[in-house]
Amino acid sequence: MHSLYQRANGLTGLLSSCLIGLLALVALTSFLFPAHPKGDVNIKTLKVRWGQIDRHPAQEWAFVQFDLQTDLESLFHWNTKQLFVYLVAEYTGSKGVANEVVLWDRIAKIKYVFRDFNKTFRNASAVELSVRYNVMPYVGVLTSGEVGRTSKERFPALQTQG
Amino acid sequence: MSSQIRSLLEGKIDFEGQKLAEKIVQIGLISSTIVSFIVGFVVQDLKVAFAILSVATIFIALITLPPWPVYNKHPLPWLKSQNSKKEQ
Repeated sequence: MHSLYQRANGLTGLLSSCLIGLLALVALTSFLFPAHPKGDVNIKTLKVRWGQIDRHPAQEWAFVQFDLQTDLESLFHWNTKQLFVYLVAEYTGSKGVANEVVLWDRIAKIKYVFRDFNKTFRNASAVELSVRYNVMPYVGVLTSGEVGRTSKERFPALQTQG
Repeated sequence: MSSQIRSLLEGKIDFEGQKLAEKIVQIGLISSTIVSFIVGFVVQDLKVAFAILSVATIFIALITLPPWPVYNKHPLPWLKSQNSKKEQ
């Protein structure tokens, strides 16, 4: 500590420890806001069509319209950078494979296509939609939750275009 | 000229001054970290927390880094140099 350089070294050294401590405290406060917002998700329409999209082989495609009513404000606190809200369709395919397909999300606003590995939705179980979220913090761990889910709905019979 | 700049940059302080400066740095930084966390949490703003810590750090640097006269109040009395051939 006798020279200016050594005093600066001591100051910045302790500062880095203090910063790590502050960041750790901030990360821990995320657990002080245990919000689990709920909402209503309902399937408006569920359609199945046959066709070819892009380079995928000809197969059945499902189309979903849904209603979502929820208030996610309780998830926002000082350590919330952004939310990733997404809609998941859950059903069991005709070969007994449980599927979870992401259909929609909030930030990227990407619409994913809804199709099955077997190229058909025949003999698949009823489908259930759930809206889930990831809380992305500035510091700390990613937390997630589910806003709500629809009642189960059977895939309808394949429709012709129109 | 260069030795003047060097001594200015070196900023020597005495032993008591070093003890005092170190104590100010430690108490100042740790308490301002705690204060910045509490205030930031209360106003729910990370920017406020880091602004308080930054301003406090700059302030602490200003009062502890330069060789202020407070840190040179206890100069060590050195023995006068003797022209002894043994030490050479």
